[in-house]
Amino acid sequence: MLELFAYDFMQRSLLAAAMVGGLCSLIGVFVVLRGLAFVGAGTSHAAFAGVTLGYLMGWPPLLVAITFGVATVWITGWLEEQGRMKLDVSIGILYTATMAMAIVFIGLMKTYNAEVYGYLFGSVLSVTGEELFLLGGLATLVLGLLIAFWKELFFIAFDQEMAEASGVPARRIFFLLLTLVALTVVVALKTVGAILVFAMILIPASTAYQLTHSLTTLTLYSVIIGTATAVTGVIVSTVWDIPSGPSIVLLATAVFFFSLLISPKRRRISSNHLC
Amino acid sequence: MPIGARPPIIRFDHASFGFPGVTALEDITLSIEAGEFVGVIGPNGSGKTTLCRAVLGLLPPIKGQLHIFDCACQELRCRHRAKIGYLPQKGVVDRNFPVTVFETVMMGRYGALGLFHRPGPQDRRIAMESLALVAMERYKDTALGHLSGGQQQRVFIARALAQQPKVLLLDEPTTGLDLPMQHNVIELIQHLHETLGLTVLLITHDINMIRSRVDRLVLLKTRLYAAGPPADVLQPNILEQVYGKGLVISDKDLVIVGDYHHHSH
Repeated sequence: MLELFAYDFMQRSLLAAAMVGGLCSLIGVFVVLRGLAFVGAGTSHAAFAGVTLGYLMGWPPLLVAITFGVATVWITGWLEEQGRMKLDVSIGILYTATMAMAIVFIGLMKTYNAEVYGYLFGSVLSVTGEELFLLGGLATLVLGLLIAFWKELFFIAFDQEMAEASGVPARRIFFLLLTLVALTVVVALKTVGAILVFAMILIPASTAYQLTHSLTTLTLYSVIIGTATAVTGVIVSTVWDIPSGPSIVLLATAVFFFSLLISPKRRRISSNHLC
Repeated sequence: MPIGARPPIIRFDHASFGFPGVTALEDITLSIEAGEFVGVIGPNGSGKTTLCRAVLGLLPPIKGQLHIFDCACQELRCRHRAKIGYLPQKGVVDRNFPVTVFETVMMGRYGALGLFHRPGPQDRRIAMESLALVAMERYKDTALGHLSGGQQQRVFIARALAQQPKVLLLDEPTTGLDLPMQHNVIELIQHLHETLGLTVLLITHDINMIRSRVDRLVLLKTRLYAAGPPADVLQPNILEQVYGKGLVISDKDLVIVGDYHHHSH
């Protein structure tokens, strides 16, 4: 099995998986705590619509994916802020609308395009050096912004109105968070695909949530779980010759259910019931 | 310094607040002076929380003006807002959020620190001092969700104090607490007002709990019905205008109103 690691494609895949796993699980902490779970799912489908339009028109697919993803989250955030619509309703509409657009764009393509389906189902093993470089750049940007605005993101996840009242520019930080979610989705699109990318964001943070009451520890656990399951998932998929995206997600899901069993929060709830 | 001789820190000038088609507060003219302890009372839907949001600078007036620290409320900048320590109503915040007591209190420093600045040793010292002021320093590493309701309120008061505020704004701080804990929290607020010289704006349903502690009471029901010393405001003819005929003043001067939210103790 060790000879696998000597292959260039395997090294690129593992690096991409580690990068995507770490980044998704980091932004996932804020997504879970701020209650934006559905936003990520909607964004991934909007980004996929962008990819299909990019291929149809001959434009850079990732750039169009970023535009679609960011536009979707901004429209959703704006509608919620205006009090016009709940976040889950607006994202539900945009989610299905962008997926319908993606199907139309695929239908308009004259020939079958395997790369487009790669973005839908994920194909980490086919990540090229160029793509890895681009992903690295985007991941560095997202990571840098997360670190720069860490305390503000934490505060708005806890209570956005209290943050605003305390002098934190909470509204702008909320839109920054939405933008970072969209960028992260695009970073991860090629690795795990539009259908499964959101699991990479949601599951590691939700797993870590079961294990601790401290935000710092939760973040650390989330990144460790996200990175480890992504890398292990790629190895498992290669050894057993199964698709990489689903193997990462299923592995992360197994870890999540294990965390439910050993969760100190579960023990606390049980003991409270006994009182 | 006697009341009336101190500079106003919050000044409503014929100010109205609300949303398109709905006026939650109308034509409010009121000055709150530095160092005052003011209780805001009124029935449900009387505009108490709207007043709170206005003072926080979250809701600009649709008519008239509101000045806070001599600055129009819609122009309140981050540094102004950081001077208002705010305790939101219980239930607004997810109390099971994965956060320790110390992490919660440190959030009080974030507004004052500004963007791109990391909390340093001085901020940690201020957070610890704030915890000490509410006698919660030994719980600093405890998860917020593991504390009782009263202890959580103390932690949120410490978070507000960590801002080193000039004004402490408390929205129903005793709701959901048992009676001894309600007294405990109100005594703590009074102690902080006296020792730190904070201007306190306390929004509550519980008239009897605060009547002997505040300098002034403000009685709201969309409009400002009365503002003055508790003895002047808690007159049957004034209270009946706001609470209706269901109100009783007992022989021990306790105010009892018909609404289940307003039980006296």
